Amino acid sequence: MAEKRKYLPLASTKHLEKMMTRHYALSRYHRLWGKPLKRPLAWITSGAPVELLRAFNIHPVYPENYGAICGTRRVSAKLCQVAEAAGYSQDLCSYARTHIGSILRPDLAPMGGLPKPPDLLVCCNNICGTVLKWYEALARIFQVPLLVLDTPYLPARLTDHTKEYVLAQFEQMVVDLERLTGRRLNRRELAEQLARSSQAIALWKEIREFCKTSPSPLNAPDLFIHMAPIVTLRGTQQAVDYYRRLKEEVNRRVRQRQGAVDGEKIRLVWDNIAIWYRIFGFFKMFSERGACFVTDTYSGGWVMELPSGDPLESMAITYTEIFLNRSPDFRAEQMINLIKEYNADGFVMHSNRSCKPYSLIQEVIRRRVTRETGVPGLVVEADMADERVYAEEPIRNRVQAFLETVGGI
Amino acid sequence: MARYFLGVDIGSLTTKVVLVNKNGDMVARATGRSGYSGRNVANRLSNGLLEEKKLAPKDIAAAVATGYGRVTFPADREVSEITCQAKGIAHLFAGAGTVIDIGGQDSKVIRLLPGGKVIDFAMNDKCAAGTGRFLEVMAAALELEIQELGPLAARAREHCAISSFCTVFAESEVISHVSAGAPKADIVAGVCDSVAARVASMTSRTGLEPEVVFTGGVARNSGVVNALAKQLGCRLSVPEEPEITAALGAALFARDNAD
Repeated sequence: MAEKRKYLPLASTKHLEKMMTRHYALSRYHRLWGKPLKRPLAWITSGAPVELLRAFNIHPVYPENYGAICGTRRVSAKLCQVAEAAGYSQDLCSYARTHIGSILRPDLAPMGGLPKPPDLLVCCNNICGTVLKWYEALARIFQVPLLVLDTPYLPARLTDHTKEYVLAQFEQMVVDLERLTGRRLNRRELAEQLARSSQAIALWKEIREFCKTSPSPLNAPDLFIHMAPIVTLRGTQQAVDYYRRLKEEVNRRVRQRQGAVDGEKIRLVWDNIAIWYRIFGFFKMFSERGACFVTDTYSGGWVMELPSGDPLESMAITYTEIFLNRSPDFRAEQMINLIKEYNADGFVMHSNRSCKPYSLIQEVIRRRVTRETGVPGLVVEADMADERVYAEEPIRNRVQAFLETVGGI
Repeated sequence: MARYFLGVDIGSLTTKVVLVNKNGDMVARATGRSGYSGRNVANRLSNGLLEEKKLAPKDIAAAVATGYGRVTFPADREVSEITCQAKGIAHLFAGAGTVIDIGGQDSKVIRLLPGGKVIDFAMNDKCAAGTGRFLEVMAAALELEIQELGPLAARAREHCAISSFCTVFAESEVISHVSAGAPKADIVAGVCDSVAARVASMTSRTGLEPEVVFTGGVARNSGVVNALAKQLGCRLSVPEEPEITAALGAALFARDNAD
């Protein structure tokens, strides 16, 4: 039965907010400092090799992160409608529609949209195929160069052939960036960028692993909110400093046996992108029944350790091996391992209308995971940013039935 | 003093109330259209049951509510209709392995263990195709009463194909079959096939374990029962009163809870 349960906020959140506000404010005024400081502006995909861009002193901003912000502020649906009116299909990714909508109608967009025009676009298809067409559309709108990194889908392991193919593109990208920026690649600077990325990634990993304890110090909304720096500020010292602070706070919770969900009874694993416009409301349906999401495949996607060795080769491997670029078997095994390692009682898969590569094979994965772990899984249909797709009452119904199945009534 | 337990299922179209005694035997039941206030309908129906059995409100030891309106009814607790449905069916059919339930606005497949524990379920999502509402819309388009669909489907010579997944577009398909001069019986058989196909595909998500019990108001439609049995390739058991089984499960939870 539902009870009132307290939500335990993290003190680090206000530092996060400050850091992200600063990042967006700086980005917004890029036109004032970008040219004098010779720091071009790039719009890039979430799985793009940002370390290389930073080594060229390029300032990166993320349309996907911006889509998430619009989702959280519940303005995505309106911006999506703008894009749809311009002819973009309602079946396209809602980040893409939101972003294109924000370009067409900056008056409706938070912060007036991302700073524009970008000096270049960088797109890596390790997360999906949509980004290619989305970024091609952006290149047409702004008439700016588009750099594409094509990472072939991995049905099994990364082969030498694939690695060489991606590495060759990295080498070409270096040539292109040298031409575009008028700078030579500073290999020492690149190595430092990678080292800082690795530090942030290691900290993010340690923070997540604290959630193996019971009660879990963090719940899914915490993971979704605090993933912002690992996506947008990866490679910066700020991100490293921030995750040190967060790690300390989470560690303190573990020592004091403080759970994110009051009276944790059920431990769950989350699959797919957050439902941004209902980030708290959705998870409250679970937390009020004592269910905590102790880990997830989404924000964990950025725990992508960079192997040592040649920086370009290291990036070629890491960015090709991203989980969304891998087979259903890999994804099922990943879920099975998370359930075992985090001692989970069940898992919930968000069938995300926007994100086809993430969602299409969930039913196959769900069956295999349940067969191999004996742990039940629920699929809920929604969308990460477009709230027109979300139907609260049918979802509440399923969630309640699922929790009755997992936790008894 | 007699002790009775009330189960209330406020569905999207119909409200069902069931009264059980302390042995779990159903002693009375009633159904009515949910209309604007399912809660008022539930109150009226349960008061009617009390009157019928010459009972006073204090004779009801506990009540459990389920269905879409469950939170509106002042019960001792609310339980989702999936869990209630499994409970009710396990009580009526000890060997049930799967429940297929087609109600007004939902269709679902539930896999259960003996005793009624749910192990998996699948439901239709944000779409009325494959539900009772779909059949109502089609019946209206054909100027038929809902009860006429089953007998009429049995008289079909050829089954018209209704391919659309959308209730609105499927209605247009039905209308084009009408204008093409297709016999009503053939169209109705196609409509029943379409509902069955929609639900049958859901069973591939959960698996199908015999005995398969078909519940919900749509289980009264012999056209859908036959189409579904044919598509699944198995026998379907239909309870005598297929729409009240979730309310029965709720009443049984009320009894367990009071123990």
